[in-house]
Amino acid sequence: MSTARLKRKLGDLGIDSSSKRANESFCLIGTPLPPLEKSRDTGEFVPLWKQDVRDEKGRRRLHGAFTGGFSAGYFNTVGSKEGWAPSTFVSSRSERAKNRGARPEDFMDEEDLADIRADQKLVDENEEMDLTGGTQAEMSKRGQGDTGEKDEITVALEQSLLPTPKDSIGARILKKMGWRLGQGIGPRITWRQREIQFGRNPDVDSTEADEEAKRHMYAPRDTPLLIVGRKDDSHGLGYNSGLGLHATLGSQGPNNDTKGPKLAGGFGLGALNDADEDDLDVYDSSNMHTRNRTAYDASDMYDEERIVMGNKQHGQPTGRSSAKAQAPARPTLGKGTFRDGTHSLEGFVVSDKPVAEDQWFPIPDIPAGWTPNPKRVWEQAKVADSNKENTATAPPPIIKPSEPQTHSQWKTGISADQRGAILGETPLPTGPRSVFEFISKKDQERIKSAAGGRSDQPSSPDFIPATSSPESSSAPSLPHTEVHVAQSALRGFQPFTADPAKQVRYTAYLQAHANPGSGASIPAQLSGQDVETYAREMRDYAKAAALFRPISGAMAGRFTSAAVLDLGPKIVEGLHTPAAESALNDEDEKMDVDEKVDERREEAPKVHAARVGMFGALTREVTPWQPARLLCKRFGVKDPNPDVTAPQAAASSSTAPAQPEFTAEAVAAGTVSMTASLTTAPSARKDLSHIGLGDEDGMGDDILTYERPAMDVFKAIFASDDEESDVEMEVDDKVEAKDQRQDTLTPALPPPSASDGLLDSGPSTSISRPSKPDSAPEVDLASFKPTFIPRDPKSKKAKGKDKEVYSKEKKDKKKKSSSKGATLVSFELDEDGTDSISFSAQRSKHRDKERDQDRFKKKKRKEKDGDEDDMWVEKPPPDIVKGLVAEIPPDDNPDIVEDAGPVRGRKRAVDFM
Amino acid sequence: MPKNGTIFLARTLHTTLSSHRGPVHVVRYSKGSAKYVLSGGQDRTIRLWNPELGTEIKTFSAHGYEVLSISVSHDNASFASSGGDRSVFVWDVTAGVTTRRLSGHMSKVNVVELNDNATVLASGSYDSTVRLWDLRAQSRAPIQILEEAGDAVQALHVGAATIISGSVDGHVRTYDLRMGELRSDFVGQPVTSVIPSQDATTLLVSTLDSHIRLFDTTSGKLLNDFTGHKHSSYRCRACFGHAEATVVCGDEDGTVWAWDLVDATVLQPKPPPKVHDKVITWAEHHPTDPGEMITASADGTVKVWRHPKSSTP
Repeated sequence: MSTARLKRKLGDLGIDSSSKRANESFCLIGTPLPPLEKSRDTGEFVPLWKQDVRDEKGRRRLHGAFTGGFSAGYFNTVGSKEGWAPSTFVSSRSERAKNRGARPEDFMDEEDLADIRADQKLVDENEEMDLTGGTQAEMSKRGQGDTGEKDEITVALEQSLLPTPKDSIGARILKKMGWRLGQGIGPRITWRQREIQFGRNPDVDSTEADEEAKRHMYAPRDTPLLIVGRKDDSHGLGYNSGLGLHATLGSQGPNNDTKGPKLAGGFGLGALNDADEDDLDVYDSSNMHTRNRTAYDASDMYDEERIVMGNKQHGQPTGRSSAKAQAPARPTLGKGTFRDGTHSLEGFVVSDKPVAEDQWFPIPDIPAGWTPNPKRVWEQAKVADSNKENTATAPPPIIKPSEPQTHSQWKTGISADQRGAILGETPLPTGPRSVFEFISKKDQERIKSAAGGRSDQPSSPDFIPATSSPESSSAPSLPHTEVHVAQSALRGFQPFTADPAKQVRYTAYLQAHANPGSGASIPAQLSGQDVETYAREMRDYAKAAALFRPISGAMAGRFTSAAVLDLGPKIVEGLHTPAAESALNDEDEKMDVDEKVDERREEAPKVHAARVGMFGALTREVTPWQPARLLCKRFGVKDPNPDVTAPQAAASSSTAPAQPEFTAEAVAAGTVSMTASLTTAPSARKDLSHIGLGDEDGMGDDILTYERPAMDVFKAIFASDDEESDVEMEVDDKVEAKDQRQDTLTPALPPPSASDGLLDSGPSTSISRPSKPDSAPEVDLASFKPTFIPRDPKSKKAKGKDKEVYSKEKKDKKKKSSSKGATLVSFELDEDGTDSISFSAQRSKHRDKERDQDRFKKKKRKEKDGDEDDMWVEKPPPDIVKGLVAEIPPDDNPDIVEDAGPVRGRKRAVDFM
Repeated sequence: MPKNGTIFLARTLHTTLSSHRGPVHVVRYSKGSAKYVLSGGQDRTIRLWNPELGTEIKTFSAHGYEVLSISVSHDNASFASSGGDRSVFVWDVTAGVTTRRLSGHMSKVNVVELNDNATVLASGSYDSTVRLWDLRAQSRAPIQILEEAGDAVQALHVGAATIISGSVDGHVRTYDLRMGELRSDFVGQPVTSVIPSQDATTLLVSTLDSHIRLFDTTSGKLLNDFTGHKHSSYRCRACFGHAEATVVCGDEDGTVWAWDLVDATVLQPKPPPKVHDKVITWAEHHPTDPGEMITASADGTVKVWRHPKSSTP
C-alpha cells in the first residue's frame, strides 16, 4: 500500500520507479558479515611523516633529534614527560649501607643485558674459578670491608700474586690440599728426582745448582695433559699418513734444534707474552668478563715450563721423546713467499716439494686395421644382462678370501649369512616370524588350503575369488569383476588403447562381466598363450577395470578421457605373422576410421570451410551477446537490449547460456514470449536487497489463491505498513511522487494477456502474447479492473473466477491488496533485469518508449544527483516522449488513465484505510 | 600518390632506434600527427622516440616482465601497456609514471587496446579472456570479461562500437555493442593480428599459416588472401599501407612484404630484401605520412623507413 503510494508519488514526479535507484533497498536484515579483507594491510603505503622506526619488540626507536626533537629523551630513554627535571636532593646518610655504585648494567639496554647473560652462560664454568673468594661469605666480607681492612699494598700484592681470580672447582680443591699452580700433583720429591724428571742430568754440576737447592723437597713435575686426537679417518691404528705438510714443517721448524725439553707444549699463551691482544675482538661484549686470557706465571719454574690452565687448553701431547708435536714457529720471511713473489698466509710455509703429481699412462697402441665395433660390446652387455637376470635371485657368488675379487665385490662385502656359510657355521635358529608358525601343523595346512585360492589375487575388495572355475584345479583361477564395476569401467578410461588387440579383449572381458546374462563370454585363451599368461592377462583386466572407472559425481564432468595419438605406423618387431591379431587389428582400424569419420562430420562445416577457404556463412557464427551497461555507456552506444541487463561489472559476458530462450527470441524479434525466465525469475531474484521489498510475490499468491483472508487481515498487515511508510513518504519530494505515478501505470498494462492466454494455462505457465496491437481490444475491460496484479497468474485466475461473486467492494479490497502485490512485484522488476510479465506485453510495443521514459526520468534525477548516476548518458529524449507516457495507457487499458493520471476517479486502496 | 601497380613502399632506412636490449615486441606511433614512437621490448622498458631524429626521449620502466603491447590514447597524454606481469599499466606520458595498474588477468597480457576516447581499455591475455576496464571510474574491476575465446587472445581492436579479438583458437570474434551480438569468424589458424580498415568494412587478419586474409566484416567472406611471406610461429603484425592501398607485413625472416590490396600481388622488389636480423614482430605504417613506416624486430632494433621522395614534402 505504502509502496504503491510512494510509487505513485514518484511517478508523478517523473521518476521511474522500476529503475534500480528507486528500488534501492535500505533494509538491512541480519547481522552483516565481517569484512572479507583483513583490517590491517601491512603493505599499505604510509606517508613518510607517519613512518617511524621501531625495534623488533615494537618499541619506538629514534627519539629526539632524530625525529624532530619534540620527544627528546622521554619514551624509553631517560627523563620524564616534562623533560630533564633535576632530581631533588635526598640525603643518603642514613642509607649509606644500601648505597652502591652504579654498575655498567644499570646503563645497559635489554639487548645488552641479554648478551651478557648469553655470555655468562658460555663461561659459566669459569665463574666458579674464584681463587680468593669463592664462597659467598668471603664475597660479602670483601664487599663490606674492601677498602677498610686492606691497605693498598695488600691489594696490590693480592692482585699481583694471585692469578685472575677464577678457577675451576677442581683447582680450588687441589689448592686447598696444598697444590700450587705450576706444580705437579703427588708427593714431594727430591731435587735429584726432579732434575731427572726434567730431563737434566743431576750429576752434571751446573754452576747455579747450589747446595741449598738440593736440600729441599720439590713438588713433582707437572704432567702434561694427554690429549687424544680424534680419529676421523679410516686408516688403521698406527698408520702414519706419510709426509704431509705437517711433517715437512715439523722437520724444518726453526725451533727444531732448541735443546731442552719442551714441556707443556708451549701452546697457548704465556703469561708474559700476551701477544694476542690484537686478535681479540674489542667489540666482543664477553670481554667485559675476566677471562683467562693470560696463563699463570709459575715463577719458580723454568721458562719452558709453561702451564696453561683454563679454557684455552688444547695443547698437543708433548713429551721429551716426541719432537714432532712442537708448535710451528713463525715462518721466516723467505719461506713465506711463493715463487711468483706473493706472500703466503701468516703461519703457513711454502713447501719445497710439489704436491704429488698425477700419474699418467700412455695410451695403448691401437693395432693397425682395428675398427670399432660397438655391436660386439652391446651384445656382450646383453648377454651379461640376461645372465644377470638368470642369476638375480641367486645369492652373489661367494668368493673365497684367497681369491682375488673385483672392486665391486669387495665394496658390497659379504653379509653375515654368507660369512657364516663360508665358515661353515650352522645358521642360527631364527625367531618365529609370524603367528602362523605358532599354529599347529593341521591348522596351518587348513589355512593354506583356504588361502590357496586367494593368494594370487589382488586384495582389492572388488575381487571375489571365482567360485567355480571352469578350468581344472591346476589352472589358475580367473578373477571376477563385479557387474557394476565392469559397467562403469566400460564407460571409463580405456587403458589399453595403445594396444588395440588388447583393448578389444579388454572390452570383451568387461562386456562379459557387465551383463552376465547376455551370453557374452570372457575372451578365450589365445592360441599361443599358455594358461598362466592368460590368467595374468585376465587379472590385469580385472585390475584395470577396478582402477579405471569414471569418477562419479561432480568431478566426473571435469575430465575427458585422453585420446591416444596415432603417430605413424606401428612398428612390430620380428617377422610379420598373420594371425588372429591381424583380424582384430583390422576391426579396430575400422572402428578408428569410423570414429574419425564421425569427428570429421562433426567438425566439418566450420573447419572444412575454413580449410577450403570458403569463409563466410559457414565459418561465421552469430550469437547474441550482452554488453555490460556501463560498457555501452562508455562507448556511447545504446544498450542493445536494456531489459536484459547483463550481470553487473566483473560479470561474465556469457549471457547466452544463462537465458538462452529469451535472448534468442528477443533477437528474433516480433513476438516477445515469456518463457522459463519468468518462472525461474523469482527464485533467482532472492537476494538481500529484495527481502524487504520485492519478494512477497509468492506470499501474495498464497493469500489470494488459497485462502482469502478477511479484510481485517489486510488491514492489519497493510494499514500499519501504510502508516509507517507514510512517515517515510513525507520526506520524499515531488520527484518520487512522479515516479510513483509512473509505476502505478505499469502494472495495469498487461491484464489483457491474462484474459486470453493465462486463465486456462497453469499457474506457472508463462505468458506469451503476440505484440499485435489489436489483441488489446478483445479484452473485456470490466473483467480486468480487479486483476490488478498482472504478474501473478494465480491471483488472476482466482480473480477471474471470483469476479462475479464478489461485490464491488470486495473487488476494491482486492484491488487494494493486489495493488500492494503489484507494486511489490514491479518493485523488483528491473532490479536485476530479468523479465517479468508486467513488462512483457509492454515491451514489444513500447520498449522504445519505455526506455525513453526511463531515460527521461533518469535524466531528471540526474539533475538532482548528477554525478552519482553513471548509467545513462544519452541525451534526454525529445518532448514527444513525455507525451508518449500519457499515450501508452489507452493502447492497452483505459483504466490506466484513471489510475495513472492525477485524476482519481476510481477508489484506491488508500481510501479504505 | 603513385597509381596502382606502381605503389612503392617506404623502403629506405631513415634511422634505427636501437637502445632496446633484447627483442622489441611492439612499436606504436603516437596519435595525431604521429611524431613520436613508443616501443616496448623484452628488456621490460618502454621507450619513447623521436623517429625523425632517431633520438630516445624517455624510458618508461615499471614493468617487471617483458612488454608485449602498447596502446596510445587519443590525446597522447597517456598510454597503456601490458606484458608478462599479468597487469595492464596505464601511464602518464609526461610524468613517466603509471597512473593505473589493472590486475586481474591470470597470465601474461598479450595485447592491450584503448578505445577512441580512452575511456575503456581492452586487454587480451594468454588466459584466453578479454577484459574491458573502465578508465573513468575509480573502480579497478573490469567492466566485463569476454570469455568466449578458447585460447590465448593475441590481437584486439576496439572500434567505435565493436571490439574485435583474434585468438589462437583460430577465431576472430567481433563483439558488436550496438547489435548486442557476437560474430565469431573461424579462420582455422592462430590469429596474430586483426586490423580493420578505416571504414570498418574489411578486416585484415594474419594467421600462423603464413597467410594474411582480408575479410568482409558484414558477411565474413574472404575478400583477398596475401601469401608469400613466412609466418608460422611468432606474432607478426600485418597492417595496411598508406591509404589502405597496400598490405604490409614483416615476416619471420626479417623481410618486409607488401602486397597490393586489390590484386594481392607482391609489390616490388620481389622477394623483398632482408632488413632485420630476426623476426619482425611489429610493422606499422605511419597514419598520415604516406612515406613512413616503422618495424620492430626481435634483433632489438626499431627501424624507421621512409620513402626517398617523401622527405621533401
